[in-house]
Amino acid sequence: MLSRKHFIRQSALVAGGLLTAPLWAEARNAASRYRLVVLHTNDTHSRLDPFPMDGSRNQGLGGVDKRAQIIKQIREQEPHVLLLDAGDIFQGTPYFNFYKGEPEIRAMSYMGYDATTIGNHDFDAGMENLATQLRLHARFPMLVCNYDVSGTPLEGNVKPYQVFKRGPLTIGVLGVGIEGKGLIPDQLFGSTVYLDPVAEANKVAYILRKKEHCDLVICLSHLGNRYPTERKVSDEDLAKQSEEIDLIIGGHTHTFLDKPLVYTNKKGRDVMVNQVGFGGIILGRIDFEFSKFSSQKILKTEKIFISSKSVV
Amino acid sequence: MTRSFIIQLRLIHPAILVLLAAFASCRTVYFPSKAEYSSQRITKDLSIDSSLYRIVRPYGDSVEKSMNTIIGTVRQTLEKEQPEGTLGNFMADAYLTMGAQQFDKPIDAAFVNFGGIRLQQLPAGPLTIGKIFELMPFDNVLVLQQLSGTQLQSFLDLVAARGGWPVSGIRFSIRNKKAVDIFIRDRPLQPVAQYWILNSDFVASGGDNAEMLKSLPQLSTGYLARKALIDYVALQTRQQGFVGAQLEKRVIHAQ
Repeated sequence: MLSRKHFIRQSALVAGGLLTAPLWAEARNAASRYRLVVLHTNDTHSRLDPFPMDGSRNQGLGGVDKRAQIIKQIREQEPHVLLLDAGDIFQGTPYFNFYKGEPEIRAMSYMGYDATTIGNHDFDAGMENLATQLRLHARFPMLVCNYDVSGTPLEGNVKPYQVFKRGPLTIGVLGVGIEGKGLIPDQLFGSTVYLDPVAEANKVAYILRKKEHCDLVICLSHLGNRYPTERKVSDEDLAKQSEEIDLIIGGHTHTFLDKPLVYTNKKGRDVMVNQVGFGGIILGRIDFEFSKFSSQKILKTEKIFISSKSVV
Repeated sequence: MTRSFIIQLRLIHPAILVLLAAFASCRTVYFPSKAEYSSQRITKDLSIDSSLYRIVRPYGDSVEKSMNTIIGTVRQTLEKEQPEGTLGNFMADAYLTMGAQQFDKPIDAAFVNFGGIRLQQLPAGPLTIGKIFELMPFDNVLVLQQLSGTQLQSFLDLVAARGGWPVSGIRFSIRNKKAVDIFIRDRPLQPVAQYWILNSDFVASGGDNAEMLKSLPQLSTGYLARKALIDYVALQTRQQGFVGAQLEKRVIHAQ
């Protein structure tokens, strides 16, 4: 039998629950309103199926149908998602030898990729082929700001940047490609002109921040993570010499990072660099939370608090 | 500048103008204050998106079917070895024999860069197309270049310095990392003669440090090196019923 005291306490709890439930929902909504989930891959290299069960280190890992399922589940929970890739979609399995990238691009379109950049191996079946695959099968842009492709088959099929709206948030995404010399055969690179990635990325990032009023600027890069012994421009160089980039999604060096690297840019602000190996073994995820300011003045000393997401 | 700005603004509806003014004076900005990373490993036990599976499967089935197609039988396991190996000889013979049908020039010799052989051996037994793809995954094409005897000597010295590459149509010895006692089509190398030499476009374009080839004009029909291997398997199967190559002292270390 319930005592009177107990009954009152129970009722209060129920009533309180009823009252606070909508508030909770609202609070959660408000939080997700200002949250952006960035999902990313790089160097997927035609790995549509999981790595074969042949005793090798990565056996059984990856597979686009599993990646697609995870992305779908995340989209069901999160209203604001950006799905990005950092290039080298092509070459690595017989799929590419047979179909020249068609199933790779179709799978990415199905998964709802928002943008990719161009990797050196994306030239492997020629620029004409890449342009055709993008035109016929891509429902996302290929972004690169430091390749002048005027007069090549890629003209009109790639662009320097794109602006995305996610709820109240404006996000600018740009792309940079690696130097073709010594890496991409001349006959494949054609009359493409490689421009300094740091200078070009800074120019475009400035436009995104000041003219397009982006709250977040993301650079998709196929430059490579770091080159301790070679004189090649890396994501580390780009991060340190950048001014308006918040996040660099890297590729090319197939680097597995346990957590994003953080550098200080030319303005003293944090820049994150992340890369998730190759072959679609890992789907990278970074959840950003935004604070709202009601005036134009941005706090110059504001630091991004970066942490590992606790698993619930 | 200000003037034209005003004129342009006047073309806009007054209501929008008011709105624009409101935004300009007090635009809401969002600053990323917090970032949490949590990457997801794509493991075997995860469930699949069946719609995407159905999109990709027909491509995969067709690739798999092709890859499992048996195109011949290897009689004795072919091995990748230096300075000479049976697997390399098989490949160099394939390039020379099938290349001869692509060009209207008399090809004197064909080369295979040792590093471009991507299998240690081709085991005895049924041979699938998939194995040829493993052996030669790159989409390199065969190209023909004309070399003087002197230029050929310098290329052979590179091959010798790298421990010997598979060759067909030519034999030589390696002494002090140089090529000596060179015979092309059984005749000694003549410094002033001209030779038609077949390579993959990778080597012909200066790959593996073949700098001496880089500036020489290339003849190409777009014939893939891998296609030459597949076609040669068919030819050998037709002619002798099996796939194979012998050690013939094409490249040896001088005593």
